[in-house]
Amino acid sequence: MAASTNLVIPVVLWGKTAPTHCISSIYLTRDQKNLVTGCYDGQICLWQVDPDTLKMTPRCLLVGHTAPVLCLCRASILADNNYIVSSSESGEMCTWDLVDGKCREATKQPYVHTNMQAYHMAGTDDVRLFCNGYYAEVLIMDPFSLELLFTLSSRVNPDWISALHVLRPAKRKDDVVLALTTTGTIKVWTLSSALGAIGSLQDGLTPGKGGSGATSPTHSPSSALQSPSSEPCYENESKQIRCLNALTMTCCSCNQRTVLIVCSKYWQIFDAGDFSVLCSVHAPQAERWMGGDFLSADRVLIWSDEGKGYLYQLPANCIADHKDFHAKATDADNPFLYCILAVPSEKPLSCPPAMQFFHGTPRQGKSQKYLLRGDSDGNVIYWIVPDVTDGQLAQIRQEEFVKPPGLAPNYNTSLTKAWSEMKPPPVGILDQLDTPECPGVKLTASIFLPQQGRLVCGREDGSIVIVPAVQSIMLQLLHGRHQQYDDWPPHQLLLGHSGRVNCLLYPHNIHPHYEPSQLVSGGVDFAVCLWDLNTGSLLHRFCVHAGEVTQLLVPPSDCSPRIQKCICSVGSDHSVALLGLTERKCVVLASRHLFPVVTIKWRPLDDFMVVGCSDGSVYVWQMETGHLDRVLHGITAEEVLCACDDTIAGVSGVGGGSGGLGGGGEMGLANPAIHLLRGLRHRNLSAIRHATIRGLHQLQQLHHDGEHGESAEMAFLRKNHASPLMVQGLRTNPRDPEAHVLFFDIEALAVQLLSEEYSTMSPGTLEAQGLINQSVYMKVVALTQSASPDAHKKIADFFGRVKDKAGDMERILKEKDRHGLLAKMKEGAENVQTKLQAKAEIVGLKGTGPDGSPRKG
Amino acid sequence: MNLQVEFEWILHEEVQAVLKQLHTILIECAWRFPVPLCGNDISPKHEKYVMSVSAHTTPEQVKCVVALTGDSITHADISLKVQKQPNVIYRTSIQAENPWKLQQVQDAGNHLQQAILHIENVDKDYVFRSSEEVLHMLGKVLGCLQRGRSSLIVPRKKTIDDLMNSRNMKSLVPNLPENLAVSFYIQSHKLIFAVYHVGSAHGTMKFDTFQAECSLPWLSEVLVLFTVGLQMCQQLKDKDKVAELLV
Repeated sequence: MAASTNLVIPVVLWGKTAPTHCISSIYLTRDQKNLVTGCYDGQICLWQVDPDTLKMTPRCLLVGHTAPVLCLCRASILADNNYIVSSSESGEMCTWDLVDGKCREATKQPYVHTNMQAYHMAGTDDVRLFCNGYYAEVLIMDPFSLELLFTLSSRVNPDWISALHVLRPAKRKDDVVLALTTTGTIKVWTLSSALGAIGSLQDGLTPGKGGSGATSPTHSPSSALQSPSSEPCYENESKQIRCLNALTMTCCSCNQRTVLIVCSKYWQIFDAGDFSVLCSVHAPQAERWMGGDFLSADRVLIWSDEGKGYLYQLPANCIADHKDFHAKATDADNPFLYCILAVPSEKPLSCPPAMQFFHGTPRQGKSQKYLLRGDSDGNVIYWIVPDVTDGQLAQIRQEEFVKPPGLAPNYNTSLTKAWSEMKPPPVGILDQLDTPECPGVKLTASIFLPQQGRLVCGREDGSIVIVPAVQSIMLQLLHGRHQQYDDWPPHQLLLGHSGRVNCLLYPHNIHPHYEPSQLVSGGVDFAVCLWDLNTGSLLHRFCVHAGEVTQLLVPPSDCSPRIQKCICSVGSDHSVALLGLTERKCVVLASRHLFPVVTIKWRPLDDFMVVGCSDGSVYVWQMETGHLDRVLHGITAEEVLCACDDTIAGVSGVGGGSGGLGGGGEMGLANPAIHLLRGLRHRNLSAIRHATIRGLHQLQQLHHDGEHGESAEMAFLRKNHASPLMVQGLRTNPRDPEAHVLFFDIEALAVQLLSEEYSTMSPGTLEAQGLINQSVYMKVVALTQSASPDAHKKIADFFGRVKDKAGDMERILKEKDRHGLLAKMKEGAENVQTKLQAKAEIVGLKGTGPDGSPRKG
Repeated sequence: MNLQVEFEWILHEEVQAVLKQLHTILIECAWRFPVPLCGNDISPKHEKYVMSVSAHTTPEQVKCVVALTGDSITHADISLKVQKQPNVIYRTSIQAENPWKLQQVQDAGNHLQQAILHIENVDKDYVFRSSEEVLHMLGKVLGCLQRGRSSLIVPRKKTIDDLMNSRNMKSLVPNLPENLAVSFYIQSHKLIFAVYHVGSAHGTMKFDTFQAECSLPWLSEVLVLFTVGLQMCQQLKDKDKVAELLV
């Protein structure tokens, strides 16, 4: 993409508090170098692991999913391959590069996976993902393209598959998929090698692509998933057993003769030959089983939702090579519980932890087995599963004990712990306001005013602090004399809210027809406050909501004149209000929503505000009158929401130039920076990527169509976007204080420095430097006005000439770089290892690195 | 102080009480399903419907009589007339040995069942210790109910190619000509039968759509119960959030 000449360097100021990380899935790479934890808020944390000591250090936070990360798995057979695949509850799948944290591929499908097994099929060059979830098939996907390769369907009692295991029976060339439906039907598919060929051939065979594009509302996934060329692949065998809603199913790798099935109430061992039950163990009081695995042919490890691991020795009738195998179980033949892996005196968890059994690769001739656990407080712990010999076990059996011996975890860490171990602690953007007596008040909302270079932060105590952004950042990141100054930089304080400030809005940033001096804030005290930035005074307090104010928005600029002077606020009581800033009164209160408001869209020409709620219902409100026009559900609701986007694009797209990227339709969307930020806030990966591209695109367009009708707005956009520094609040969980991402736009920075430099030069100096002649002058003009593809090369040339200032700036940048890019490149560097970084995806960091060399990946 | 007491009351009393009520409603909902669910060992009901045409479709264009057993169409008599060939009538049928499965019903039922399991996983005498714990559990239940309800009211969109190649299309005897695709799906309380006639005009593909529908009484009841369950769950969540905030 030619447009990505802008080099934007993100630097995160995390602040003293670690982000909330309620772990929903956990995965350790096979080379034991990376631990991956997915959380309920949709982020994925990468932890650097020392393969020998298994000491874990959080390294970066991958932002992309919008819903809980349900499963994680590897993308390749190679132990040191650095890619993983993640899948979320809203159907998003991503392939991530573990080295630089980039998202290599992302897709969103209507099929939500609850489990993925990476398996290397016969006749293929790499693994395939075998997925099951909220659908009645087994889907086989390519981990890198995330395309569906083929589908396994059921002929008998088709139902959701709740557990799945793929294996290759000994002495056989084809693979077998063993699956168990929620209603307890065991199914077996034998995969022919012909199926393996699908996907290896790639192009042409992948279904779902290249369709007519015509859509029709129908359902039944089975049909949508088949490769058009082939008949559906049905199961070879099917048998009803009594296991309902199984959670996991594992075939013993030692003999492939016994199968462990874990349900929440009990676990059972089955004979793989005829699927008869050999033994069964109920969950302990007030606990439910969550999963399990074989340790050896006669030992199993089962874990429960209380986060405990239970080690059992299987009775003789469950051991394949024993003479009593498959004999009728007697009472004495119960599995013997010989050890419990538990955390002593633990704080109660708010949800079941994610647990995973990990069989370590042999090191120094010894291979260890681990039980990993990630919990709701972001703690990661593991136990080394003890190797108990048969002799020791016989001894344990002799001893009389009420409770089997417990074993405490071997290692324990968490984000909070990593934060507290950092010396000095991770900096926050307003750390200068902290005093030893009064530790920092949590920042809960923030907004950056690019034209004034000021940063506004709302805090937990209800105060709003305004500081000059650059000086404040200097104070945190750069060493120098300025750190000795008392009470520097000066800050302004707005007091008016009682309790947390939830959101801030500077309407003038979004559209110039708003007063440049007005700032709006919404708080936990149900109030929306209107401030005068110049005087620092509270102009008005709107009290219309019956719940805390959670969001502030600006209606589109083509609304009626009255609405144009309004801003829109959303309350946690599911109400939406339009508040007139000049008339100081609530114009519309839309408050009949039964469910939380998730989207607000506009039909300015029809005078409609369209409110989408979390249950999928849509409320259409007339803005001028405040009447509820209609309430919609289901398909019509979806269509009305989509139609809002169409009209906006259609109306303002007229006259917009059709550039190489998205065409004119996209010009109608709001400030791309806002979309970028919104994307960040909603953790929508593609939106972020898209907004970045669009922003660059618009920037280029502006210079070409200077006389364009909307030029005032466009010029405004440009001014905003070309700001060398952007500050964005980052919060991954609503309860967290805000961290901040600083975006340094190198090109904009160079342009600004150059313009400053030249504007101060006298004609004499200009001549002395040979800058007065026409060709050089043109070059400068080109640089300061256009973001042409080779601009950064030209800038590099100019760096030499304006050495004084630029050199100074380079040093500053390097200083910042220490926290940013270098960390990615020199992974081993001790001092930066522990820095968490917002990843390059956030700003679509692509193209060239700071030294001009192409970046990998 | 009073607020603290109220918060504790919500955690200790109210949550369990609402969960019990919610459970009753969801079980009630499960029993309305025409398929075995949550141990309602009913034998699948057998019902017959004559479908009536929707707007923009004339009665001659689509005639369809269906028989439903559980979540499958076990019998259907279909006759179609395409505008461009007014004298040709296409007839086809669905036979019991090759039924047309309505996956939406199974999906909705399974999501509902998961919601019920989440509630049942909370022991009767369990005392909640924090509002996060409650919010977490309610979030899971809400998610299940949400997905279950939308699988009935928002049918998935598919391309015409997918439709043509679908497994269900193969259960039609005799086969329809290549430019005709049909589909049965559920949208809110109705069973919809849609016919797509693919033609080409000036080199681009276009298609005409005809529809017939009939309302399934059990679906309305299921949707009402789903909605009541969702609202109850949301209200408890809101209450818990507010109480936590004020303490």
